[in-house]
Amino acid sequence: MSATLDKLTTVFHDVFEDDDIVLTRETTAADIAGWDSLRNVMLMRKVGRTFGFPIDTSEVTGLKNVGALVDMIDRKKGA
Amino acid sequence: MHDAIPQARALRKAGDAQGATALLADVVRRGSLDALDYDSVGNLLAGMVEKGQVAAPKLRVRLIGQWTTSFLMPVLTAVTWGRRQPAVVTEGSYDQVWQDLLTMQPGDADVIVLLAWSQRLLGDPTRAPTARMADELEFWRMCWARVAELGARLIMVGPDALHDGALGAFLGGGPGGERGLIRAANQALRDALPPGAYFVDLESLSAGIGRKRFYEARGWHWTHQPLTDEALVELAGALQAGLRAVTTGPKKVLVLDLDNTLWGGVVGETGPLGVALGETPDGEAFRAFQAWCKALTQRGVLLAVASKNEVDDARGPFLQNPAMVLGLDDIAAFEASWEPKGHTIARMAEQLSLGLDSFVFVDDNPAEREQVRQALPDVEVVDIPTDCAGYIDAVEAGRWFEAVALTAEDAARAAQYQQERKRRDLQTSASTLDDYLASLDMVGDVRAVDEADLPRVVQLIAKTNQWNLTTRRHGPDFVGGVSRDPRGVALTLRMADKFGDHGLVAVVLGTPTDEHTLHLDTWLMSCRVIARTAEGFFFRAIVEAARARGYRRLLGEYLPTKKNPQVADLYDNLGFVVQERTVERTTWVVELDALALPTTFVQPPGSNG
Repeated sequence: MSATLDKLTTVFHDVFEDDDIVLTRETTAADIAGWDSLRNVMLMRKVGRTFGFPIDTSEVTGLKNVGALVDMIDRKKGA
Repeated sequence: MHDAIPQARALRKAGDAQGATALLADVVRRGSLDALDYDSVGNLLAGMVEKGQVAAPKLRVRLIGQWTTSFLMPVLTAVTWGRRQPAVVTEGSYDQVWQDLLTMQPGDADVIVLLAWSQRLLGDPTRAPTARMADELEFWRMCWARVAELGARLIMVGPDALHDGALGAFLGGGPGGERGLIRAANQALRDALPPGAYFVDLESLSAGIGRKRFYEARGWHWTHQPLTDEALVELAGALQAGLRAVTTGPKKVLVLDLDNTLWGGVVGETGPLGVALGETPDGEAFRAFQAWCKALTQRGVLLAVASKNEVDDARGPFLQNPAMVLGLDDIAAFEASWEPKGHTIARMAEQLSLGLDSFVFVDDNPAEREQVRQALPDVEVVDIPTDCAGYIDAVEAGRWFEAVALTAEDAARAAQYQQERKRRDLQTSASTLDDYLASLDMVGDVRAVDEADLPRVVQLIAKTNQWNLTTRRHGPDFVGGVSRDPRGVALTLRMADKFGDHGLVAVVLGTPTDEHTLHLDTWLMSCRVIARTAEGFFFRAIVEAARARGYRRLLGEYLPTKKNPQVADLYDNLGFVVQERTVERTTWVVELDALALPTTFVQPPGSNG
């Protein structure tokens, strides 16, 4: 498990109010109860804050799974 | 993330939901949370309530917005817990204001918060601005009427816009410009607001931290929620102050320390003329703070002093230092001693006949603040900064004294408490209580509630806790309804005595239960006239009004709260007979022709003693 995925897991626990969520790179919105479009925005806001960069408006939707989110975070942190 | 959040999660998991809520409420109360953490705290609190792990708060608040309120909801939840008025906050769907109001049932919410946005006001440039304004106003008036129908209190948040628009800053602020239109709409809504409602103007609220930190366009495009995290906390603070204003009413007493709070230095060391006041930069700041406090007394907030000092030292600057803005006459209760301030403030509360939750405490010494915080959890404690120039901002930030309306009585309140002090002095000299009461030359004037009285009557209903039989927080519609009903009894009592005029001090609202029975739905009296036989005088007028309307009996009712035990026996004392007694409610009846009228030392107007 990458450090990013680790940190992301605590963000998910917070946003979805569920400490039992276990993330893998393959996790999608369908796997997590309550991951609707509004919750997705809450998640993105919190991801931006937690990792210290703003998510662009063009990036807020369209990620296909947690792996894509992790890659985006790593890319932005590396940039 | 604040440490308290994982700690609270752990406590909750370990089955200690009480401990978790207490911990979270405390970090919010102390203002130690980062803006980003409020939603986690609010979601945790709401989650524990929803799962029944802690008792649901009584206050139910509904957010209904033309912008998405899902982000505001947990933040407001957190703030209400931190401000010791916890609420269950729910929301309607985005921009479905009218539909949501229609699907609600009476009693679903105690307070409804309507949040306007500018998508229609600015949305259709083909229609004249005046026509768009008229549409807005008509729409919101319709919504307000529905809120009243639902029996809820109203908080209205006016519309705002993210950008200056095509006309730019200057022309855009003029007539027909976008900002000009927004300002005009806010003013028009404010002016049309029903009495008893609270209004939040986002333009002035956002100015506090700056519009660029308050709004973000991306939020609007993502979810139709234009506020930043920091702005959500600001707005939640303003809404919480509004909730307090429309439910319990504002805080009533500001308790002040002296040394390094009202003046610079320690008077016991420097003498009354040696303290920093005026002239130096810090002296200027202390004087400004005093002037700010003094202005509060003119709007009905009481000032009190709690100082660890010898009495003579504490009073010295008030009596001798010409640079003082505050005089002893501005102080309703003055306590200088070496006792813990928790004791001092508790004694003041008793002296002023006010609940501890009416008090706000300001002291430069963090140790004193902590002592009061722990000894008296109901007292709000302000963390003022070490720089005296920041005192006013720090106290204003709590919005403790937000009110829905100011009445002439508010302005005269400080003087009334001064008179009350003189009255207490007299009381100790009068030989018996009866002599004392007779010596007051009390005059009472009972009148039917009329339109002009409504704001004061509703205000008294909203804030009276102690001498209040049922504590039903009726709004202007209910009161107006009873007063217009030919079978209803809606009376007020005004009192004066030789020390001054108390104004409107008691209200009764009676409604028929059947042809012969008048139910006293609401009966309350301001603490200023408690223990003066005013209730006996008022009761005589109630009996007279009931007889005049052809009633044969009165039905009295008592709903116990933490604050009103002093009226638990009122109906027994007035000769009523218990009809039904449960933990939550006691009812009594009395036949009007079998009634002995109580004695009173209050005279009707125009009589000569």
